[in-house]
Amino acid sequence: MAKVNFSINGVTRNFDGDGDMPLLWHLREEAGLKGTKFGCGIGQCGACTVHVDGEAARSCSVPMSTVDGASITTIEGLADGDKLHPVQEAWIEEDVPQCGYCQAGQIMATTAFLKEVPNPTDEDINNGIDNLCRCGTYFRIRKAIKLAAKKIQET
Amino acid sequence: MANLSRRKFLESSAGIGVLTIAIAQTPYILAQETPDNTGLLTPCLHFDQAGAITLYVPSPEMGQGMSTTGALMIAEELDLNLDQVSVKLMPYVEKRVGMEFYQGSGGSGSTMRTWNQVRSTAAFARDLFIEAASRQWQEAALNLFIEDGHVVNKANGDRIPFANLVQSARNFMGGSLIPENSSPKPNSAHKRIGKNQPIVHGKEIVTGAPLFGIDVDIPNMLHAVIKRCPHLRGHVKTYDDSAATAMPGVKQIVPIARIPEATEGWRRVAAGIAVVADTYWQAKTAADKLNIEWDGSVSKDDDTTLLKSKAIESVNSADMRTTIEAGNLEAAFNDAKSTSEATYYHPHWAHTCMEPHNCVADVKPDGAEIWTGHQFPGTAISGAAEVTGLPASKIKSNFYRMGTGLGRKNEQDYVKEACLLSKAVGAPIKVTWSREDEIEQDYVNYMGAYKIRAAVNDNGELSAWHMRAAGDAFLQRPTVGFPARLIDTYKGEAERIPNHITRGAWRGPTQNVTAWVVQSFLNEVATDAGLDPLAFLTKLYSQKQVLKDLNWPNGDHDFRRYIAVLEKAAELANYHTPLPSGWGRGIAVNHTFVSVCAHVVDVEMIGDSDYKVHKVTSAIDCGYVVNPLGVKAQVESGIIDGLCAAKYGNWRLERGVPVSNNFDTYTKMRMDECPDDIEIHLLETGDTEPRGTGEVALPPVIPALTNAIFAASGKRVRTLPISENL
Repeated sequence: MAKVNFSINGVTRNFDGDGDMPLLWHLREEAGLKGTKFGCGIGQCGACTVHVDGEAARSCSVPMSTVDGASITTIEGLADGDKLHPVQEAWIEEDVPQCGYCQAGQIMATTAFLKEVPNPTDEDINNGIDNLCRCGTYFRIRKAIKLAAKKIQET
Repeated sequence: MANLSRRKFLESSAGIGVLTIAIAQTPYILAQETPDNTGLLTPCLHFDQAGAITLYVPSPEMGQGMSTTGALMIAEELDLNLDQVSVKLMPYVEKRVGMEFYQGSGGSGSTMRTWNQVRSTAAFARDLFIEAASRQWQEAALNLFIEDGHVVNKANGDRIPFANLVQSARNFMGGSLIPENSSPKPNSAHKRIGKNQPIVHGKEIVTGAPLFGIDVDIPNMLHAVIKRCPHLRGHVKTYDDSAATAMPGVKQIVPIARIPEATEGWRRVAAGIAVVADTYWQAKTAADKLNIEWDGSVSKDDDTTLLKSKAIESVNSADMRTTIEAGNLEAAFNDAKSTSEATYYHPHWAHTCMEPHNCVADVKPDGAEIWTGHQFPGTAISGAAEVTGLPASKIKSNFYRMGTGLGRKNEQDYVKEACLLSKAVGAPIKVTWSREDEIEQDYVNYMGAYKIRAAVNDNGELSAWHMRAAGDAFLQRPTVGFPARLIDTYKGEAERIPNHITRGAWRGPTQNVTAWVVQSFLNEVATDAGLDPLAFLTKLYSQKQVLKDLNWPNGDHDFRRYIAVLEKAAELANYHTPLPSGWGRGIAVNHTFVSVCAHVVDVEMIGDSDYKVHKVTSAIDCGYVVNPLGVKAQVESGIIDGLCAAKYGNWRLERGVPVSNNFDTYTKMRMDECPDDIEIHLLETGDTEPRGTGEVALPPVIPALTNAIFAASGKRVRTLPISENL
């Protein structure tokens, strides 16, 4: 059992329960944030990607016992009110999503990635983004990442 | 919004000022003032009391873009801006006489099957609004037109929004105006159809809105995690649930019997033990503490290695059933300038749907309700009816966007499980599958072996074709497919390798593997005869113009379309331009159900046993294009899915137990293997109706890839997956 305090999208939360429970299930079932998706449960597919203290993390593999004091951002907290994040805008402009199930994870992975590599080449993207998409939207994701990088640099 | 139950939807749609426009063949049906709109009316257009418009699209959405395509068809007839409306999946209605909406997603058919239905409905709505305005303004209908959701008076420019006409339109629905008299616009008048339309739910997706079945919560819902028998034919022998029962939140442990119980029968629902708890995590951790002994001894012969050797042995030596035959085969081989012979094999493929299967069910003695994502709503409902013992009319249903379907989400198992458990527990239950079960309990693509031989005559033409096929589907279909009948001398033989593996539709069923076998072998035949593969193919497809397909959906194959896409793809890919050493280029074409697609793949070898796909150039003929941006998305999707299945797809069983069960043991392509470039051309052939797209690009990309690998390395891939056979 674990007792931890942390924040999700800027809102302070407390958790008192099974410390082994992955953050994913706290987000989906206790915080009511359904945007973060269950995909594989073993950190392989990235559908559950969120930010923990600004870094991309696969929330199916982050135990609640480890998030004490952490600042967590989910897809629901990425936009600034009605103003979408440039990565979200780029995803819409490049018409990336098909089924859409993995895209929250793709977007969260990309926003963290672009902080590390603000102006990525194809090779950087190939090495830096490995979330699974079963619709095969990779080609448009690659274009959207570059568009997002441009948008971020222009702001 | 995703949690809006059908009941709530009905409440909200029953208010004053609400108009539902039905497709219907008789005024009688239109005249029905249905207080709850159940069944009798199929709404595709809805106004709330504030005038906000919702378009209801009949085809379930699984990423193939039908909510956008369907909305575009409605919006075209009504001149509505899609930015100003909401788009939702139409609630399921039973088919009734005179009311036929195709409510399914399969066979690449949603667009063409709803094309006339949806547009006719919307055209009828348009005529209702014009009639209403005509009465209100006392102006002849022919002086009125519609624009941006308004009726406009040509003479004076007066405009009135549709929403303000709803009430009066309701008053004469079923009177003088009948849908048969309403015609959709001619294609030449299309303003929105044919232009790039981004998906209508893009903003919801990028902001994480709860759109999917897995996002549904309903009051008092409990969660179930099931430990399912991994054996195809197994039962629960014994189980100890004492540790699981003691876990926090656990409400009940429920054994689930295999359906059917007889292990000879194909598994429809796995035997298992379900843990029902307050939360998913509680159910999962408790389920992990179950101690179960399975009786799987009866399935040990269902083994990948064993089945492969049986299939190959069969094509080499078995006395098979002849499926098709014409001409003098041996004479053609004797007279040949060159002959070729090869054996091909492909293993089972799993679907790996991005969203693990899930369903919420609330079963009561007098009725049930389900919440899920499914490719065929009617199939899901009949599954629920079967296990609850209730008539289908007593099953309320709520269907959601699917995190891919790929053919797997037309099965009933996950719906049945939720219903069985809700019935047993007496509470609403949500069943969420693990990834492991999604792969282990799949309805996989069939495996098959093929022995093919072919002859080329002195004119450089294919002169004989002989295919023997054995697999765990009855492989008549590839053996009767082209090039049999396209040339005059051919023979097909097939045999089934019996086993207990659950097989199902996998994107582009039959075509997904047949295209590889046929187009790769034709490439071998051309190469063996010293001919350019593209010239060889265009010559082959010039032999006849049109032939009816002996396989589903039994439509015409117009070989001029084959040649057109081949030539276009070749032109765009600079097919005849030399490539650097270590690179290769491959081409292939396939007609999948209704449409034709060709690809050129450029690869570079990486060492001896790996490769990089640099570019895929595609040409597709899918008839009249509703949304070019969406068609291209589906072509890109088919390319990636095909490249991935070809390289890695290999669902394996060892002595009746699947040994691949998550993404660490069942590899999928990621960004780093996505081609550097994809170029897609949509052919305009003068068709006036759409054909289909969702599965069409996948089958030909696999032979284009293996043909390119041969050109680059001299290695002919005759066994999939490529990653294990190069």
